[in-house]
Amino acid sequence: MTAAIHAKKRPVRVALLGNPNTGKSTVFNRLTGLRQHIANYPGITVEKKTGALLLGGHQMEILDLPGAYSLAAASPDERVVMDALGGRAGHRAPDLIVCVLDATNIKRNLLLVSEAAELEIPMLVVLNQWDAAKRNGLRINTGLLADRLGVPVITTVAKRGAGLGELKKAIGHAVSDPRRIPRILWPDFVDHARDAVRNGLSEAGVDVTGPEALRMIFDTDSAFADKIGHREKLAPLLKAAREKIRSHGLNPASAEPVLHYRHIEALLEGVIEGDDMVARSRDSVDALLLNRFWGTLIFFAVMYVVFESLYAWAGPLMNLIGAGTKLVQSMVSPLLAGTPALQSLVTDGIIAGVGAVLVFLPQILLLFFFIAILEDTGYLARAAFLMDKLFGWCGLNGKSFVPLLSGYACAIPGIMAARTLEDPKARLTTILMTPFMSCSARLPVYVLLIGAFVEPVYGPLAAGCVLFLMHFVGATVAMPLAWFMNRCILKIKAQPFILEMPDYRIPTLRNVVIRMWERGRAFLIQAGTVILAISVIVWALLYFPRPEEVANKARAAFVAEKSETMPTDVLSTDLKKPDSDLSKKLGHRIESAYIEQSYLGQFGKAVQPVFDPAGFDWKITVGVLSSFPAREVIIATLGIIYDLGADVNEGSDDLRTNIAREKWRDGPRKGQPVYTLPVVIGLMVFFALCMQCGATVAVIAKELGWKWALASFTTMTVIAWLAAVLIYQIGSRL
Amino acid sequence: MNRLPAKKLGKIAHARPVEIVGISSDCGRAGRLAALGFLPGRRVRISRIAPLGDPISIEMEGQEISLRRAEADLIEVKEIA
Repeated sequence: MTAAIHAKKRPVRVALLGNPNTGKSTVFNRLTGLRQHIANYPGITVEKKTGALLLGGHQMEILDLPGAYSLAAASPDERVVMDALGGRAGHRAPDLIVCVLDATNIKRNLLLVSEAAELEIPMLVVLNQWDAAKRNGLRINTGLLADRLGVPVITTVAKRGAGLGELKKAIGHAVSDPRRIPRILWPDFVDHARDAVRNGLSEAGVDVTGPEALRMIFDTDSAFADKIGHREKLAPLLKAAREKIRSHGLNPASAEPVLHYRHIEALLEGVIEGDDMVARSRDSVDALLLNRFWGTLIFFAVMYVVFESLYAWAGPLMNLIGAGTKLVQSMVSPLLAGTPALQSLVTDGIIAGVGAVLVFLPQILLLFFFIAILEDTGYLARAAFLMDKLFGWCGLNGKSFVPLLSGYACAIPGIMAARTLEDPKARLTTILMTPFMSCSARLPVYVLLIGAFVEPVYGPLAAGCVLFLMHFVGATVAMPLAWFMNRCILKIKAQPFILEMPDYRIPTLRNVVIRMWERGRAFLIQAGTVILAISVIVWALLYFPRPEEVANKARAAFVAEKSETMPTDVLSTDLKKPDSDLSKKLGHRIESAYIEQSYLGQFGKAVQPVFDPAGFDWKITVGVLSSFPAREVIIATLGIIYDLGADVNEGSDDLRTNIAREKWRDGPRKGQPVYTLPVVIGLMVFFALCMQCGATVAVIAKELGWKWALASFTTMTVIAWLAAVLIYQIGSRL
Repeated sequence: MNRLPAKKLGKIAHARPVEIVGISSDCGRAGRLAALGFLPGRRVRISRIAPLGDPISIEMEGQEISLRRAEADLIEVKEIA
């Protein structure tokens, strides 16, 4: 039975198994360096991290399994660990399991190991955070532990790289001399219950392994039972098995951990000495950081720094990227002057699109810099503890705070930050709520509209208040929506909110850099390509069909209009000079005519009736439609539509005057101003609630799949439309 | 030893040491709590309460785990006589 693993010529599969907070990912980073590949498991939202390691001529594939306290699985997300170990659902079973344990908490960490031993795969045990165990006064007899377990036991301090050499050596050794941890000896009634379920199922033509049968018996909400189906056959079998366990005086829902812990306690007899209850340094720090007053104050101070970094510190870097994009555009543009369509595609489509992707990087890198530090120091768990009550009622939890707060700067890093939530349901809800937060790209729209319509009439104080209130519109709608979704739509079973308070640790630069690098890279590769594609498609919709006569007609109309007020010869000499004011105005007029004739312009006119109940004319409609890829685009689009060119900003007086002057040209409201207060408020609320951000859709698709991305997009658009219609209809009747 | 009635862990006063009697539920959450080590016979105490009253942090065998009161209530405890 001790046949060497490497018989076949394929990479040796090594799975890293362990509880959360054991430093397992640090071990993974140490083993694989930057030779990592991150993907999602198909159909679920759990991240699959694999990496390569070459060891003594053997090619190894290291799989970092999600951290788990036990193999119990109530959802497909949680089933990943069991599927991966059991070689189910497209996985190949690992050749070796490296169990990473927190040396300060061996007993609880061994539960998962004891459960996994059931699968009889060769194993290796790593006691990580060995330094902390020594500091806490624990004396652990590793030789005795190795004897009892029957597998090698290695001690490491992964964050400093200590013991990693021995670990690699042990992995290499396990390839030629695999060892297994003996299975727990179940009481007879458990063996009988398991066999009854297996036999019963095989009569129905379904084969399950012994360990899988046990999981179905012991896990009350078993994701395995869900997967296997044959409910009418399975349900009575499981019921009988659980009755059998109950008749022996054990609660079937907790029988498995109870029996494993009995086994583990016997196994650890005499292995660990020293006071396990030693008062740790964390207690005095916690007394401050979790204090009702000081803890809350410190929390808000820390969050302020995180937010400020995204909102303000990232600004110069983003401006630099913006300026760089413009520079490249101006350098490339003359090279393609001969082919205007190609010139526009390359500069306004591709280069602008690459710029639109890169511009997110500073915020993503900064946020993950802070998250890595907050998580590695152990503060993130404290922050979640402080804030959980605020979010628990609507299906989120304390860990939702950082993603939602980040959403106020930009939804992209916020959504990516939701990876810190272990609970799949809370993570899903957090991701879907984040785009509702009022991101910085909404600000220009508010500033333009408030500056043009609220401030001149109601004064600066009212303008400030409206701007402030606009930032809460999204959150006010999102939280009840989250509550409703959790109650009525999501069928994922709620899991207890378990938060371990890890010891405070000093983060290592290495881990922080790896976190930033892997997030930035994943964004560029997976979301960046989609954002670029959207940018090019929207460019095409705004550029084509571009028939020559549109420009000619606009030119003729412009000349006819101007010749009424100025002599024809002055007009024609002025128009021959490309830098004259008049030529620029003509250029803007032609761009405006083109956009009206573009596919998106035509589409805007066609769907204007849809937005009519909200009081939007075709110009606003085109502006709204063109800003679906990125909401801040509306400023440039309105600039073009109002003959001012794309180079306007939200503070432009010309733009404010022009839109304030706009009147309905036909229809029942002919002659009335377009931008009344209900239209303006409705338009702002529309921007607050609508997901006008292609990058957000792309990132949600990356995190949750296209189904959720499209559902989220549709829901937000419909809610935004409803709100705008409601405000206009009620507001204009008051 | 006198028989003290079982109480819910979520209802116990701050810092008072108690002993776990069992887990009252047979839903999936019971298994989760047992897996974390909330087992009959173990001694626990509420070591900290969040500023908003929930969740609570529970100390058990040198580790600290925080639970919402609703889940802590699934754990039945008795006063240590």
